[in-house]
Amino acid sequence: MADFIQLFINGLAIGSVYALAAIGFIIVYSATGVVNFAAGQFVMFGTFAGVAALMNFGMPWPVGYAVSLAAMAVFGALFFLLIYLPLRKSAVLTIIIGTVAIGITMQNAAQLTFGSWPFRLPSPLEGIMVDIGGAVIAAHALAVVVVTGVMIALLWLLFYRTSVGIGMRAVAQDVQAARLMGLNVNRLLALSWILAAVLAGVAGLMLGPMWFADVSMGDPIALKAFAATIIGGFGSLPGAIAGGLFVGLTEVLGASYISSAYKDLIAFGIMILFLLVRPQGVFGERIQDRG
Amino acid sequence: MNLTRKQFLMAMMGAAALPLASPAFAQQNAPIVIGATVPITGPLSLTGKQYHNSLTMAEEDINKAGGINGRNIKIVFEDTQASNSTAVNAFIKLAQDAKPSFFFLSSYSTQNLAAAPEVKKVGVPTMYAGGADVVAESGNEWMFRIRPADSVAAVGMVRCAIDILKTKKPGILYIQNDFGQGGANVAAKQLEAAGVPVVGMEAYGQNDKDFSAQLLALRSKGADTILMLVYPQDGALLLRQAKMLGLKMPLVTSAAALVPAALQLLAPGDLDNVMGVVDAHMDASVGERMKGYVERYKTKFGTDPDPYGLSYYDGAMLMADGMRKVGTDAKALRDWLANVKNWQGIGHDYSYDAKGNGVFDLAVVKAKPGTKTLELVQSIKVN
Amino acid sequence: MRIPLALAFGIFAIGLVLSAFLSDYNLRLLNLSVIAAVAVIGLNFAFGYAGLISLSHAAFVGMGAYGVAILTTKFGWLPWLAVPVAIGITVVFSALIGFPLLRLRGHYLALATLGLNVAFYIVATNWIELTGGTNGIARIPELSFLGYPLADERSFLWFGLGVLGVLAAGASLIHRSRYGRAMMAVRDDEIASEMTGINTTVVKIAAFALAAGCAAVAGCLFAFHVRFVAPEDFNYAHSITYLAMLIVGGEGSIVGAILGAIVLTFLPEWLRFLGTAYLAFFGLLMLGILIFLPTGIVGLGRFLPWRRPKRPAAILGVRSTEVSS
Repeated sequence: MADFIQLFINGLAIGSVYALAAIGFIIVYSATGVVNFAAGQFVMFGTFAGVAALMNFGMPWPVGYAVSLAAMAVFGALFFLLIYLPLRKSAVLTIIIGTVAIGITMQNAAQLTFGSWPFRLPSPLEGIMVDIGGAVIAAHALAVVVVTGVMIALLWLLFYRTSVGIGMRAVAQDVQAARLMGLNVNRLLALSWILAAVLAGVAGLMLGPMWFADVSMGDPIALKAFAATIIGGFGSLPGAIAGGLFVGLTEVLGASYISSAYKDLIAFGIMILFLLVRPQGVFGERIQDRG
Repeated sequence: MNLTRKQFLMAMMGAAALPLASPAFAQQNAPIVIGATVPITGPLSLTGKQYHNSLTMAEEDINKAGGINGRNIKIVFEDTQASNSTAVNAFIKLAQDAKPSFFFLSSYSTQNLAAAPEVKKVGVPTMYAGGADVVAESGNEWMFRIRPADSVAAVGMVRCAIDILKTKKPGILYIQNDFGQGGANVAAKQLEAAGVPVVGMEAYGQNDKDFSAQLLALRSKGADTILMLVYPQDGALLLRQAKMLGLKMPLVTSAAALVPAALQLLAPGDLDNVMGVVDAHMDASVGERMKGYVERYKTKFGTDPDPYGLSYYDGAMLMADGMRKVGTDAKALRDWLANVKNWQGIGHDYSYDAKGNGVFDLAVVKAKPGTKTLELVQSIKVN
Repeated sequence: MRIPLALAFGIFAIGLVLSAFLSDYNLRLLNLSVIAAVAVIGLNFAFGYAGLISLSHAAFVGMGAYGVAILTTKFGWLPWLAVPVAIGITVVFSALIGFPLLRLRGHYLALATLGLNVAFYIVATNWIELTGGTNGIARIPELSFLGYPLADERSFLWFGLGVLGVLAAGASLIHRSRYGRAMMAVRDDEIASEMTGINTTVVKIAAFALAAGCAAVAGCLFAFHVRFVAPEDFNYAHSITYLAMLIVGGEGSIVGAILGAIVLTFLPEWLRFLGTAYLAFFGLLMLGILIFLPTGIVGLGRFLPWRRPKRPAAILGVRSTEVSS
């Protein structure tokens, strides 16, 4: 039983990180219709912002985290200006390839700056273990789950209780109508990208201590985030969360109870199954003329 | 908008034309040209940098000592980039442009396998460091391995587990690729033959970051020792997670978890009760030559050297020795290499067999308690 | 019939001339380009004509390559017997999986095909008895054409160009036929196509299978060229590369497919002089091409005198069929 609790909480922790990455991905997609294939590299940038702030510049925890997230916000704004705006009129696939190209550039720029050795991003909860029902859980893993919960609550507040958030939802539903209602659409789109970047930053900072940071960590995360959004439902925030947690749990529990070698196949197999049988995922709306 | 597009195109074409304008390789009389295809960019450059450095150092050392009977050597590097295809491209480019008398390939078995037919066509002695046993199985008489093959490493780990740790119920945890699978199968067979069959074998994918499922499974199957066949990053993660999960049994890890790139990620506590079977113990205590190598490398490049880089250095020295004795004729050099017996490198004793495998010795190491300094437990020689 | 033949002849002639004086290294790059071009012409059916975003193309190339590799090494088949079987298996598989998969569109299809490619990689890596795992399958025998062994880059190039020419001519024929027009109709407006009596499901599956068939041909060429296959040669990064080749060259255009394949094969090699920064530069360059050349390289053909559109540009859309060949 202790083993199961161990695996379950580890799965939740991993799932929370996938959920955060997926949420960032969904926010951008809902608002701008862009499928951001560089989502994994966004998370990687978040981790390395932490590496730079906490390790290279040696800032204390709160300052380091704040600076990292601020840097990610700036990055999100730059991305909006330099990548999204020039490409916004292009075809779907062109934008996808464009995000892939910028992902390659991001990964290699990071490699030029930080080298290819992995880094160990420290956590303020380093080494602290908690006993739950016989299972020994790292406090950091629990913190990841809690922080993700807090972020989701904050997002809910943002989207449903602030005018900015409601504006972003309006733009996501119908850009023309939003414009006609007098909303500053460009500013809201920029905010969507900034928000996505900050969320990826949080995911990266949470992930670093669990996994070690290296410049090629982005792609595997992106793949899992995609699977999470498909299973949960594209364009749906609760879907991204449910999908992320599901993928994380499947990974860990599948490795334990089914097969450790083929566990990734399980997650992707389920994703493909959903695409074939219920493409709108668990929480998504019915797909009429998508694509 | 038209002008901007044209300007952009001009710039692009200009950039593309630059390499075509590079001067043709001047055929000078003096230096002997050696070709080396090394991963300099991309994710594989983690290990690639090590032997890029060590080969540079070897070139310097050889030339300082008078070169090859008065002639200097010059190592020309070409980037294998990130795929097998580009690795072969790099090889062919080198073969054609620089016409080397000797080659060094990368340490990635799939790249070695892909380049093998081309090596045969070019007909020049080539040293490689990929570990997969199958690379030596194709009867390519030009290729020489400068590190222990994966099966040798696996046997070494089994010997460590049986002889030193006296395991009765071993478990194996391996990375899901040719190295891990091949080594795990070899180890399992050896353990079975020695009367201690494995209680469990668990695998994990190359990009996996959580191993609690596999570790807990092995623990619940009652493993009293775990043999781990890993790569640097996941190896370091595994060691940490094993401690976090509270696993008490000793761990025997393959070399990758203890290379400098991985070691810098670990805390001393993570190495408690861990033994490693490494290519070579890189510590001053081994002897004068090792001490000199380690110190010089660290001064020159600022990082700790790892056994991969050392094997390329030794390989270069071995090559230089051969060239001094029989010259640079491809066939003569190849025959000389194939007959090398008990050549003392800094890291290994080289004796080549018919398949091109030359290294059969390993070192068992463990960390001094409370520190990350590795110390030698025992040397192992595999037949 | 003139243009397809001219296309095939042109490819063969230019290739022959180049092969006369280029070095082995450049010949090898040309061979890699030809193999990629064959694959991308296939992708053009699925994406360029039918509008299906397929990120599993490399998996189909892999199926063709592994097909011939396994049949010739494990079962000792003759290469020329293995080739049609490998292609056949790939086409049948693609049609079967296309049936449920092609109900999706846009990025849903993109992600589904991405998942398919990832699944292929996982299976190829883990099914060791069949595929050799990550070590792949080496020592694939040489291919001989009419008794003449294709032992070096030059002879392989002639053979490859022949295959490319035939496929390009075939693609051109299909493009001009009602089947090609049916595909493009489905791409532009699926509902309207249904209303004109086109069976969109069959058309989409046919396009997908055709693409998979070309991919399998490319896979066979790959296997006999390098004589070594490994799972990492067919992962999703390669699928993205094929798609990028098509877009950079000009989607919906056969000449575009070939140009894109050549440019993106040679570019990393040309950029070697940039050393460690080359990949970052490559990414930026790709981005630049996407922003400034949305119709691909072929779109530049608009500047050629005999290609000027007959009607004012305002009436033609960006993806006008006049521009594609």
